[in-house]
Amino acid sequence: MTTWLVVGSLVLGAGALWLLLPRGRRAGRSLGTLLGTIALGLLLAALEPLGPGWATALFYLLAAMTLVSAVCTISFRNPVYCAVWFGLTLLGTAGLLFFQGAQFLGTATVIIYAGAILVTLLFVLMLANPRGQASYDRRAWEAPLAATVGAALLGVFLTGIFSAWQVAPQPQSLDEKSYALAPLGAELFSKHLIAVELAGTLLLAALAGAVAVVAQHAPRNAPLASSTQPTHSARSSTPEAQVR
Amino acid sequence: MMDSKALLLNIQVVAAALVCIGLVGFLTRRNMIIMFLAVEMILQGVALSFVAWGRYHGSLGGQVMVLFVITVAACEAALAMALALMLFQRRGHLDTAACFALGEPDQVTQVAEEVLPQGEVEEPEPQPQWPHLPPAGRVPQRSPEQDAYRSHV
Repeated sequence: MTTWLVVGSLVLGAGALWLLLPRGRRAGRSLGTLLGTIALGLLLAALEPLGPGWATALFYLLAAMTLVSAVCTISFRNPVYCAVWFGLTLLGTAGLLFFQGAQFLGTATVIIYAGAILVTLLFVLMLANPRGQASYDRRAWEAPLAATVGAALLGVFLTGIFSAWQVAPQPQSLDEKSYALAPLGAELFSKHLIAVELAGTLLLAALAGAVAVVAQHAPRNAPLASSTQPTHSARSSTPEAQVR
Repeated sequence: MMDSKALLLNIQVVAAALVCIGLVGFLTRRNMIIMFLAVEMILQGVALSFVAWGRYHGSLGGQVMVLFVITVAACEAALAMALALMLFQRRGHLDTAACFALGEPDQVTQVAEEVLPQGEVEEPEPQPQWPHLPPAGRVPQRSPEQDAYRSHV
């Protein structure tokens, strides 16, 4: 029963992805949406109930939100809409992390991903979006092949997951308090202290690298500024010279 | 009390689906920023899987691993955005299908012919309707360099 649900979900999902990805035509998108909804329903029907009804309903809601917005992220034509749908994917993922009791990670996902990375990305989109919709956003690259490959890989994953789950032992009863903030901090700053310091160094190196990449071409605009506004360029060329 | 074993299965299924959707996005889309989004989506799926396994085994190792994944993703975002901005300033687009600077000059770029079809008519996307304002005041003076620099205005 579960096998047929998963197989049907994979086939319909691959078709839905092919129809939904940008192909230069608008035809077939509503059929793709219908197929995708059926595929999502079949995939969720193959899952196991989680015990109490509210938990199962909440999990289905979060999973559907995450997967639907993920498909929207890769299938919308406008990159700004893609970024906004990705924000919804992040919120769904953070909800699933909260659902498992990983409070700090759920918060960190919202703050770092949705708060910092996504905003940086939207800034870059604003700076680097050509007028209107670019042709490369309206035409995907080998959509049928990629959808088939994705469905096949998901099939391999799900086969492994379901077959391993049949023989997996029931876990010992968990203490929910051991997932709160304090034990995680204690673990992080005792067992993984050097790794934390290295991660901080890596962040600093990435910051310096990003500044170096962007500041590489800063003096290019200097002659333009000096020809129009001499006083402003005299002031603004000083920090550029220091960067050089 | 939730069934921990069922929760492990459900989270793994959602994480696998997220990874595969991200993979399809990375393979098909040609905008560099959307490819970056797809990679981040794969990382999100892996993070879900790590936390679920950590919960199943009753250890905090999965969460610690995800924390470092988030750190690396932040570094990656900073560098990738800087590179995308540089690429756009040099070329005026973010199309990865048109970046063949690393190829030998005498080689035929077969991929470019394939993904940029010639002579095929595309349906035009509906353009947004902007409100039309009556002209007022005087036309501001702009230099040609400024026009080249700011294509929108």
